[in-house]
Amino acid sequence: MKSLTRIIAGAAVGLAMGVTASATAFAQEIIVGVSWANFQEERWKTDEAAMKSVLDKLGVKYISADAQSSSEKQLADIESLITRGATALIVIAWDSEAILPAVARASAEGIPVVGYDRLIEDPGVFYLTFDNVEVGRIQAREIFKVQPKGNYVFIKGAATDPNADFLHAGQLEVLQAAIDSGDIKIVGDQYTDAWLPENAQKNMEQILTATNNKVDAVVASNDGTAGGVVAALSAQGLEGLPVSGQDGDHAALNRVARGLQTVSVWKDARALGRAAANIAVQLAKGASLDDIEGSVIFSDGPKGANMHSILLKPVPIRHDNLDVVIDAKWVSREVVCQGVGANAPAACK
Amino acid sequence: MSARFPIEVSIGAFAGILALAAAAAPAPAVEIPRFVEETATSGVSHQYDGGWEFFVGGGVAVFDCNGDGRPDLYIAGGAGVSVLYRNESAVGGALRFAPVPDSGAEISDALGAYPLDVDGDAIADLIVLRVGENIALRGLGGCRFERANEAWGFEGGAAWSTSFSARWEQGRAWPTLAIGNYVDREAAGSPWGTCSDNVLHRPAANDSGFDRPSALSPGYCSLSMLFSDWDRSGRADLRVANDRHYYRGGEEQLWRLPPGEPPELYTRADGWKKLVVWGMGLAGHDLTGDGYPEYVVTSMGDNKVQSLVSAFQGPAYEDIALSRGLTAHRPFTGGDIQPSTGWHAEFQDVNNDGLIDLFIAKGNVEEMPEAAMRDPNNLLMGQPDGTFIEGAEQAGIISYARGRGAALADLNLDGMPDLVVVNRRDPVQLWRNAGRGDAANPVPIGNWLALRLRQSGGNRDAVGAWVEVKAGGRVQRREITVGGGHAGGTLGWVHLGLGSEATAEVRVEWPGGRTGEWIPVQANRFFVIERERNGARRWVPVM
Repeated sequence: MKSLTRIIAGAAVGLAMGVTASATAFAQEIIVGVSWANFQEERWKTDEAAMKSVLDKLGVKYISADAQSSSEKQLADIESLITRGATALIVIAWDSEAILPAVARASAEGIPVVGYDRLIEDPGVFYLTFDNVEVGRIQAREIFKVQPKGNYVFIKGAATDPNADFLHAGQLEVLQAAIDSGDIKIVGDQYTDAWLPENAQKNMEQILTATNNKVDAVVASNDGTAGGVVAALSAQGLEGLPVSGQDGDHAALNRVARGLQTVSVWKDARALGRAAANIAVQLAKGASLDDIEGSVIFSDGPKGANMHSILLKPVPIRHDNLDVVIDAKWVSREVVCQGVGANAPAACK
Repeated sequence: MSARFPIEVSIGAFAGILALAAAAAPAPAVEIPRFVEETATSGVSHQYDGGWEFFVGGGVAVFDCNGDGRPDLYIAGGAGVSVLYRNESAVGGALRFAPVPDSGAEISDALGAYPLDVDGDAIADLIVLRVGENIALRGLGGCRFERANEAWGFEGGAAWSTSFSARWEQGRAWPTLAIGNYVDREAAGSPWGTCSDNVLHRPAANDSGFDRPSALSPGYCSLSMLFSDWDRSGRADLRVANDRHYYRGGEEQLWRLPPGEPPELYTRADGWKKLVVWGMGLAGHDLTGDGYPEYVVTSMGDNKVQSLVSAFQGPAYEDIALSRGLTAHRPFTGGDIQPSTGWHAEFQDVNNDGLIDLFIAKGNVEEMPEAAMRDPNNLLMGQPDGTFIEGAEQAGIISYARGRGAALADLNLDGMPDLVVVNRRDPVQLWRNAGRGDAANPVPIGNWLALRLRQSGGNRDAVGAWVEVKAGGRVQRREITVGGGHAGGTLGWVHLGLGSEATAEVRVEWPGGRTGEWIPVQANRFFVIERERNGARRWVPVM
């Protein structure tokens, strides 16, 4: 309740601040500087386009630097973004520890920082990301909806990746009661080396052999592993069993359309990029972290620091709402609907 | 805190700093030596492999096991058996090795090994790091070894040991051994945040063998450690590189180890700053010419180069990796854009131009998706302005195997450091340095010196000494250490490049403080310098 009150109050202040801040905006041009961790990775092009679309609309200048996976270069990059006149920073940290001196430098200059996608655990930084534990909850929830009882299999991510455990924690949160009551029996629980589909397929084949194909549902942690699972199921004539995934991979969305996968949890990078640009501009205009609409306190980081944050909700993409990704131009209707048969989803009709 | 004697400042280093400041003039080209891969014909046929305990490790110990002056190789086998290879290379010829049958060093579950003369009998011994009990191997000569845990009172423990360093405390005939341990696999919640303590083996009171080991706590999953005299106080302290992947709340460490007293961590109050990296390997060298060593810490992404701010402010370091071109944070070729994973680091002058170079072994842990899979090793060539450029491709040492341990040592005694790299799940690779020539006609790029220190008493190899070589108005320094790198080290000839200088002067600051006279020497020769004798005695290999 307490936090709810604060959010509402904060939003009201935000509106008021917006007005006063715009008066001072004449004094200084707003420049948003983005420090990318490794911009050559394909996914960031989408985020950048979304940020730029908002900044263009607001008439705000965009400058950027690519740390190329070097924490030392990222420190120098942020220094240079500040020198080039950035009045707000969006930072995709390569190394969340090593970045802290640069954040302190920005704070000293009164330049607000949005920690984008990756946690920079400094209470002065605004944290913007997707709710990653929620991804696991959604996966389990969607499978549980269609298969509330029976033999379940967990196909987890790589054992070396902490995210694999975060996801699994969310899955268990939803299913634990049914597991405890005996409605759900776990007949297989495997990590997937390097998240590779072929490893997921191998693991699923072994589970099917061990259980004599007595599997009713599979909670797979992403679309890649789901692809491996569906291949293993199809080989046994078990296609169509409930299977979860994540990422909105084009192949996975097509599986959803064809009834081979129940859900792909989608994190729209464009929503994240747009939100970051908006928040950065508000902060540059003088809004405080509290003022950001929808801001909540996140304190689940390793240090337990209280961080102003927005954790965007990922979207479950199912057979019945495939138009969401098509309308968002994430994927074309042709790709989603390729090879759909009699049970075609509404989006393909 | 201050140095005990005035340090002669290198003129070259000053010039280097000036050049850095100017930064406008293009750096003169550095000649990159050609390395010829001789893996297939070398006689070395060995692989480091095993389960996740052997994702780390893969060290090679380089030392002379039979007194012929040629560096021999003892290579960890992981879950398999470690093998000793005797060096049968002709001087200046192709690299040739032969496995030594029944050496007594056939040990399984080993991650690496370090050579040192533990018992002071002038024959190199080995400390073998293992998953399970560590083993002390006493060198018997003729490339034969015997287990010495019981004879020396060396309790090998049962941990997963991944790093090692040694030093001699003032007045002691036996060394102090530090052993770094990795994850405690039995602890609740393993592997996250469950690092074992490290241990210290100090000499027994009667100076024969070791006391029971004592804990160096907390341990933060150390993958490399190095006793080094960071402030030139005459006492080596213990720098420990730690792997943040597994520790929680940890950081890089520097232990103060006054002789005979309990170890104590340097703290913020002393000037030590928090540094959190995936510390995999360590190497020290005086890069700035101020007389104090810089330390390279290999990691995932950026490699760190720590430079002492001032010897009068305690162990406060600043990072100079970026300004020197030493971050080597992602593959420079091969198309992979993910960050690199660095392991063994070693300074050596591979082109004999008198400017130190740096080799870093690289390779994915196993199949870590956020790190590069095609991750070539680096050969960072020192330039006159103090910065480094990548030379691995031109040198011909590109490899996409998972590099781990390595060594740059003059294996065929032609004055040009050769390269051996231990790979996880791929064969050990060997390259011969042919200088500016080729396999048939190797041609050194510059002049060189090879030095070996000897003294009486327990510390025969003068570990802890500093060698200074003056040539052409420049002074180069080398600290004699045991430890660092990744899971393996070198004991033997100290190699220095002299560029075009045909003569040089050498002096040694011996452990315990006495600094010898400047000794004139001719380039392109091997010399043994004995503490108890004047001058340098020339050594010539049997061809």
